[in-house]
Amino acid sequence: MSKRYAIDLDVSKCVSCGACAVACMDQNDLNVKQTRPFRNVFDMERQEGEGTTYSHLSLACMHCVDAPCIVGCPSACIQKDPETNLTVFDTTNCIGCHSCAMACPYGVPGFGPDGKMVKCDGCYVRVHHGLKPACVKACPTGALRLIDLDGPEEIAPENSLRHRSMEMLSKQV
Amino acid sequence: MRYGIVGFGTAGYHAAQAIREQDKAGEVHVYGDTGLAPYNPMLTTYYIFGKLPRSGLFPFGPLEEVADRLGLTLHHERVQKVRAQDLAVETERGVQRYDKILIATGATAFAPPVKGLSPQDAHLMRTVDDAQRLKDRLDRGDVRSAVVVGASMAGIKVVEVLEKYGVRVCLADLAPHIFPLAAYPEVSAAIEKRVAKRGIDLRFGATIDHMELWNGQKTAVMTDGSVVPADLVSLCIGTRAATQVVQGEVDIDRGILVNERMETSAPGVYAAGDCAQGVNLESGEKQIIGLWANANRQGAAAGANMAGGEARFEGNILHNITHFMDMDFIGFGDNRIQGELLEQGALDGDGLYVRAVISGGRVAGANILDSYRISGILKNYMLRLFAGEGGSLPDYQRAMLLQAGLRAEFIDRMEVMTRG
Ligand SMILES: Cc1cc2nc3c(=O)[nH]c(=O)nc-3n(C[C@H](O)[C@H](O)[C@H](O)COP(=O)(O)OP(=O)(O)OC[C@H]3O[C@@H](n4cnc5c(N)ncnc54)[C@H](O)[C@@H]3O)c2cc1C
Ligand code: SF4
Ligand code: SF4
Ligand code: SF4
Repeated sequence: MSKRYAIDLDVSKCVSCGACAVACMDQNDLNVKQTRPFRNVFDMERQEGEGTTYSHLSLACMHCVDAPCIVGCPSACIQKDPETNLTVFDTTNCIGCHSCAMACPYGVPGFGPDGKMVKCDGCYVRVHHGLKPACVKACPTGALRLIDLDGPEEIAPENSLRHRSMEMLSKQV
Repeated sequence: MRYGIVGFGTAGYHAAQAIREQDKAGEVHVYGDTGLAPYNPMLTTYYIFGKLPRSGLFPFGPLEEVADRLGLTLHHERVQKVRAQDLAVETERGVQRYDKILIATGATAFAPPVKGLSPQDAHLMRTVDDAQRLKDRLDRGDVRSAVVVGASMAGIKVVEVLEKYGVRVCLADLAPHIFPLAAYPEVSAAIEKRVAKRGIDLRFGATIDHMELWNGQKTAVMTDGSVVPADLVSLCIGTRAATQVVQGEVDIDRGILVNERMETSAPGVYAAGDCAQGVNLESGEKQIIGLWANANRQGAAAGANMAGGEARFEGNILHNITHFMDMDFIGFGDNRIQGELLEQGALDGDGLYVRAVISGGRVAGANILDSYRISGILKNYMLRLFAGEGGSLPDYQRAMLLQAGLRAEFIDRMEVMTRG
């Protein structure tokens, strides 16, 4: 049975510990001297008016339902995995044009030493085998989740990074 | 239902795909005059360069595979006319009637004739044939000099190809600067410096006037009287929407006028891609935005609506990313609009440079050099402002911009200036 998955963050639970980012590098054998890590962890403090806001975030590909990077790629390198609906890629014909980066409103696509695009693929092979993505498995607080888009809400919408960014995403072309 | 799709580029492909998602049983008839799978015109220069095999020009696979996958009936024929009143498609072989018709004929490269230029030395760059012709010519190894007319994104890619083949290249344009429709003059000047450093002969305010033979060397005589050796001439001057098939049948300006549903003025007739003129979200006016992603979005919306769906594509802004000669140039919005300037980085330095022009509480335009990483978020910000949203970046976008090297002061200033 094919499913529609995405990876989402419960921002109320994230403590910016970085376990997800480390697990991802390990899982993907990433040489971070050459390639930017797929998962980005932030601990951001901001003065806003009178108060201070704190953001604890872990951001990698959001596996958008209507993914702008897919529409933008001139070589059709980026696609939806039919089994999981995760945003996967085959960069055999990638020309390194950076159009996917210009299309992605999260700033996700990165590039390897060969100039070809790389990013989080949702650990779709693990998911095919009933496993959780490496970052999700490593998250000690349960903030990072593989969510079934057709199942019940697992994260309260006000805390869900996916929900919070839907309006923003709908404006991207 | 019977659907007719006229022109099988990426707009036609995306329409066919969207129709199939909603209507598994309907007949989808596709007319194409190339006999080839949908190809991407922007990949032509990459093929000649050697970055892609010929098959790479066809992102969606070979024609038979595409037809199989989407259940299409192919017509390898040039459409002569589409009659809006009775929804009929005319070809040399006859007339076919449909319930819905999509015009997805794209655009053609055009160039006025140049006196003295022999047809075999004149090259355009759009079709698979154009690419193959130039590649074959360059592979012969007898091209030592060339003039490229048109300092556009397409022109610079052709220059890059010629440079790779060791050809002495002159790039000329009547405009005063490179990328005149997208770059601010200061940014153009910086790009020109970099291009000139590589040994490309740049000439602005001039174009080719005619060709002459000088001591046996084919030579371009420019409008300013100067002369340049030119074994071949590449004309990247402009494109024209291919609207002839519906001339007099639907409302046409520069392109076929469409609404957010991709409907033309005639019921049952839709248009999408480079032949269509949709909304520019910045000006609110209708304008052809001849870009790959735009053709895909328009095609998908048209297809969904033809099959009875409710899809809207509100429009787009001018946006361009050109990766060439180890640099990235990104241009957003209307570069003619003046306003307050926001800038970070040095034009003659390495790394991220960004220049944004703020006018009326919106980011009217932006140029970025060498930072693809901030481009998607900045474009999104512009789009949200044009849609009437207030100026503030969500924390995850701010965090990614900071990580990519955009300074907090730049972001803060941009937010304040666009808060409305
Ligand atoms: C050199 C170059 C560089 C580019 N660079 C970029 C870039 O960097 N980024 C970007 O976003 N875009 C770029 N573009 C633009 C982009 O390629 C187009 O916007 C997009 O491919 C348009 O697709 P389309 O389906 O509307 O048209 P087309 O690809 O033109 O397809 C139309 C098809 O219809 C067929 N046809 C036309 N008339 C008839 C008829 N009467 N009967 C039957 N068939 C017919 C044509 O043969 C063609 O196959 C570039 C284009 C060029 C040429
Ligand atoms: S647009 Fe960005 S976040 Fe969305 S699927 Fe593509 S790369 Fe992932
Ligand atoms: S860089 Fe590669 S993956 Fe990204 S849009 Fe260009 S061809 Fe596609
Ligand atoms: S899903 Fe896999 S590839 Fe993506 S961020 Fe997590 S560990 Fe990395």
